[in-house]
Amino acid sequence: MPDHQRQVHNRLAVLRAERRLSRKQLADKLSINYQTIGYIERGDYNPSLELALTIAELFRLPIEAIFSLKPMTPLSEEIFRDPPVEPR
Amino acid sequence: MSTTTTSRIEYLPRSRRRTLVAIALAGYPVAVAVLVTLKHTSLNRWLILALFLLVLVPTVVTLFVGYLYARGRIDGHRARLDERDLTLRQQAYALSHRVLAAILIAATAITEIYLTSGNTLRLDANTFVPVLMWVIVYIPALPSLMLAWIETDQPADA
Repeated sequence: MPDHQRQVHNRLAVLRAERRLSRKQLADKLSINYQTIGYIERGDYNPSLELALTIAELFRLPIEAIFSLKPMTPLSEEIFRDPPVEPR
Repeated sequence: MSTTTTSRIEYLPRSRRRTLVAIALAGYPVAVAVLVTLKHTSLNRWLILALFLLVLVPTVVTLFVGYLYARGRIDGHRARLDERDLTLRQQAYALSHRVLAAILIAATAITEIYLTSGNTLRLDANTFVPVLMWVIVYIPALPSLMLAWIETDQPADA
């Protein structure tokens, strides 16, 4: 990734593991090379908007659940985090 | 070329690839410099030629490795180039252009300084052929070398 480019963080590796997909299987579904999945997961390559949207569509998730400009918090933390206490 | 060798080249770590690119770029000028130096000695012509070819071997090998590394991606002959391949190819061509421009500017500047210092430059086969060979060899090879230079290490399989 060029130095001037901002890194896009993602949860691709977690989602892929969750759905028991290998890089090759995911790459075939997306019609890209399997190495590209590895580069995206490692943060070495920022996917195009089209590819990011296709990935989101494939996982049936909103794009912001997969890609973010800020480092991703673990999914478990997001799901089980205590809700803010309502004032009485 | 066996599949194992090709795959080993494909997975070469970036640091090693960069060393190979540096050898490929520096090798030919070094070989020409050795040739010019040896021509002024009393060594046998065949021995000079043999030494020149010996010094040239690493360049030829590294150029070939660079070609194998980028084969199919830089020339677009691979059946399926995805968006990362295309982006990388664009970056490699852009960097080749910058490197070529830098070399040409440096060569022009050095020649200019040499000529304005009262020296004369004879444009004969001894000067022209190495330059021509450089153009013939490096201009087509530069994009492949630059691709090998910029690409980060492949992620481990998972």
